[in-house]
Amino acid sequence: MTISRVEFLRRVGIDQETLDVWIDEEWLIVSDTEHDSPFTDADLARAHFIRDLISDLGVNHEGVGVVLHLLDQVHELRRVVMQQARSELPAGHTGDEN
Amino acid sequence: MKDPYEVLGVARTASEDDIRKAYRRLAKKLHPDLNPGAKEAEENFKEVSNAYDLLSDAERRRRYDNGEIDASGAERPQRQYYRDFADGQGAGAYRPAFDGSGDAADIFAELFARQARAARRGRDYHYTLAIDFLDAVNGASHRLTTPDGATLDLSIPAGINDGQVLRLRGKGGPGSGDGEPGDALVTISVRPHRFFTREGNDIRIDLPVTLKEAVLGGKVETPTPTGKVMLSIPKGSNSGSILRLKGKGVAHGSIRGDQLVRLKIVLPPEPDAELEALLSKWTPTSIDNPRKDMLS
Repeated sequence: MTISRVEFLRRVGIDQETLDVWIDEEWLIVSDTEHDSPFTDADLARAHFIRDLISDLGVNHEGVGVVLHLLDQVHELRRVVMQQARSELPAGHTGDEN
Repeated sequence: MKDPYEVLGVARTASEDDIRKAYRRLAKKLHPDLNPGAKEAEENFKEVSNAYDLLSDAERRRRYDNGEIDASGAERPQRQYYRDFADGQGAGAYRPAFDGSGDAADIFAELFARQARAARRGRDYHYTLAIDFLDAVNGASHRLTTPDGATLDLSIPAGINDGQVLRLRGKGGPGSGDGEPGDALVTISVRPHRFFTREGNDIRIDLPVTLKEAVLGGKVETPTPTGKVMLSIPKGSNSGSILRLKGKGVAHGSIRGDQLVRLKIVLPPEPDAELEALLSKWTPTSIDNPRKDMLS
């Protein structure tokens, strides 16, 4: 499901100018800006998180970029671990059964 | 529904600023997007957020304090967190440059391979075996019966030390699947000997000799760990003097320790009239006091 720009701004609770900054900073990456509904649910959840960082957690502008960068790495590491866990463990089990 | 003041850990008189600070402190720890793997973070964060929503709104805080609304009056709507998308396709654009084929993958592949190996190997079994002093010095074979009735043949190498551990590969618990069995680890405890003691690779012994043997010298039979040998006592040997039997100690690889024999002069168990007669007629040529070092 994709979300239009207007709907996105309403649901995150930010204005157009703020959104442009977030996109400029690459905190949000929108692949097809010409599209009528360029945002995904993942973008929306990420935007909520950015808003929480700034308004609730007191993270300043530079800090947001750092947090997102580290967080993206954490997620990637988690993804690789899971992938390895799935590909390694069944191999061990076939050994048991043979 | 918990009391929002309690949830944030602030007093009922806390200022707006105190409440915001308390919330931030908790939110930094509990925000689900800052805790990608901790499922319980979401519940805890929701509780904290609800408490903050209520107390950060002056009007609602007043109404709560007056008992007009309860803590649930401020419940937040359900929301989705970014972490729920981060593992899926939706997060593709935010994925860092390294992918599943890079260093990270190698590290984890190694990690899991190790874990898998460790998980499938059988357990090590631990035993203790007490052996005689001479078996430890000379080496021996022992048969050990394990609690589950199996027998282990143990070859004890010459020169083994007290407390040393022998490993019998594959004699431990069975491995699961195609995993190797564990090992049997046997801790050796060496019983003391009646007259031999060990000091590194040397054997020590106190050897009783008669007054005559000490004064006149001669060959006496001496036990060693490998059997009896004839030991030459030099003329005029004193009590406490140490004689070395080369190569009669503990074998350690190609080197062999020595046996150190300390002489201990013993008088006849019963008073000996002949000896008394002999000594009473004896006048030492040099008058010597063996205690003079102590008395001067």
